[in-house]
Amino acid sequence: MQGGDTPLNSLSWQPVPGAKRALIYPLIRKIDTTSSNSYLFQTDDVILLIDPGGLAEQSAQLALVIKEIREERDRPLFVFLTHAHLDHFIGTQSTPAFAHPDVAVFAVQEAGALALERGDGKLTQADLLGLNISPVRIALPLITEERSGFFSVPISLAFSNGATVTITREKTRGGLVTELIQFGCGPSLEVYHTPGHSPDSICIRMGGLLCIGDVLFAANPGIAGLCGWDQSALISSLYGIESLIAEGGIDFVLPGHGRVITAADIGRMFAAIRTDALELENIAELNQERSVETAAFAVDCMEQVNELFTIMAGRLYYVSYVMEELGEEDVAAEVSCLIKGDVIDELLEAFRSFADEHHKRSGVSIHLALKAGQVIAKLERSFDGAELAHIIDPALARRAARLLSDYTTMLRGFCPPRELAEYDLVRHLEALVTGLSIPSCSDDDLLSSDDEDSTFTRLLLRRIGMQPLLSDVAFTFSSAEKHLVAAFDHDDLTDLVTYILEDLVGTNADTITLQINRDDNNAIIILGGTGCTASDTIKTGAGFLKRLCDRAGGTLSYVTDSKGREYTIRIAGVF
Amino acid sequence: MEITTANRDGTIILSVAGRIDTATAPALEQAINKEIDGGNRKILLNFFAVTYISSGGLRVLLATAKKLKNPGDKYALCALTAEVNKILKLAGFTSIFSIYPSEGEALAGW
Repeated sequence: MQGGDTPLNSLSWQPVPGAKRALIYPLIRKIDTTSSNSYLFQTDDVILLIDPGGLAEQSAQLALVIKEIREERDRPLFVFLTHAHLDHFIGTQSTPAFAHPDVAVFAVQEAGALALERGDGKLTQADLLGLNISPVRIALPLITEERSGFFSVPISLAFSNGATVTITREKTRGGLVTELIQFGCGPSLEVYHTPGHSPDSICIRMGGLLCIGDVLFAANPGIAGLCGWDQSALISSLYGIESLIAEGGIDFVLPGHGRVITAADIGRMFAAIRTDALELENIAELNQERSVETAAFAVDCMEQVNELFTIMAGRLYYVSYVMEELGEEDVAAEVSCLIKGDVIDELLEAFRSFADEHHKRSGVSIHLALKAGQVIAKLERSFDGAELAHIIDPALARRAARLLSDYTTMLRGFCPPRELAEYDLVRHLEALVTGLSIPSCSDDDLLSSDDEDSTFTRLLLRRIGMQPLLSDVAFTFSSAEKHLVAAFDHDDLTDLVTYILEDLVGTNADTITLQINRDDNNAIIILGGTGCTASDTIKTGAGFLKRLCDRAGGTLSYVTDSKGREYTIRIAGVF
Repeated sequence: MEITTANRDGTIILSVAGRIDTATAPALEQAINKEIDGGNRKILLNFFAVTYISSGGLRVLLATAKKLKNPGDKYALCALTAEVNKILKLAGFTSIFSIYPSEGEALAGW
């Protein structure tokens, strides 16, 4: 569970900077969605646990540490939540040490307190994760409406665990509503309301340490848009926390997930989050329905990505092999390094194993969707499309990049862009198939290239790497009309037709035809192949192609029999 | 992935079933190399039940092609599933290897 090299050590007691006789015991986890970090504090008067986490074993581990320090000196225990998301507290529900309200007093911002008291599945994200939560008694609601009129007036509260605390509502600091909580004579706790990630998000400060909950991840794909997420509140909260840190006195920022950060480093991170958050206007709520849809797209998308990357890597290996045969070992080595095949294979394999396991145990869709997001972010960094485009068909890298980007877009809560515009369908498809039939570097290009070695090598690489898809198959293009203007998404239709042609070529079609017809106000594109071998990938890829066709502005159907396969794309509204 | 090896009139036939991926490609390479190192220069890979091949698997196929290019060497693939055939074809590999529909046709063809 050790989190790595951090300014505070995980799993050991150490002094809290700027807070006399206070100690902290951080439990810093590797980042995941199942459980948060936990931060345990002790002073002479009280034990404070911030975010007990989402795992029963984590809560049990903390309960043992608490038991040890209570044996040394018994003090009341308070459990503060930076917000009421499940991964910050659900572990306590199966840990007897936290179960009794007389033992541990729970403190949560008022909105979260209300949600927990009624066992709300939405705000806690239990619904999204397909879990049930038991109602939680929150004896100390924070930043309450009731106390909003009592600025600078200390209010004393007594609890069933024997503790007495004094709460004082402070004037806002950096625009954040603040409460000061005093436990006996020791250091106080400051609580700042920082909504955005959730309505009940708070930051909690003791001395030079500031626990910030999940604000660092609030603009991330798969997190932005969760129930209760609020873009403008998030941006205001970010400004508020920044100005609080700018006042000085805070040494370290303790996030809900991941390593501890120095106050000096946090500004740059906040600026990036703000930039991301500003782009998230009108995103869809990340609810169970959307997470199921996103997870389904993740599986489809990853299958296609897998195929595209294997083909791209294979093409490069092929070019490298031919160059080696020609005695150009240096060029061969350079070419094979253009794509990190091993890294990509491992990433895709990791996703497949995760997805298999997920399906076996009927896992939660959001986990699969987030895993795909994680893999895709790494894939995007593992290839340079512009560099590859000099050697292999640029459409391969372009399609891969578009798939990855569409997935991230969907995970962020947007629909992948669909840009319908009017084009001449006949000219568009004719140009596409012509491009797929002739080499991008002809014999003449090679023969007429200048004598410079590098120019010739570049052309030779292109010639070897860019084998036209339709060069070795009997292909016929026909159209009933010379021009047919229809509204469709240019890029998506291009990709769709290319995927279909690849399926037909890849399954050994003897002949391929592309016909364009008009049926009333519909344009009908029929792509047929004869002699194709049967393929399971056609069935699994059908959902992906139908979705792509929908985005292209059409509808897709296909039939397959012993003679071959035929795809029909129907685009309504021909002009 | 499972590999079974048979010798038919001096041709080593490696029949492969399952996925050739990051985890299994090294085992395939080892099995092929063992035969080549043992002096067998006629290798036929029967992929009748290979459901997936990763880029790591493609690299093994190319590495084998580099080792078996002396006069008299034979190297071919047969019985490709549609999925594997598509990858090999679109990656350009079908112009490097001899590919046959079945084991019988492969052996008759060389």
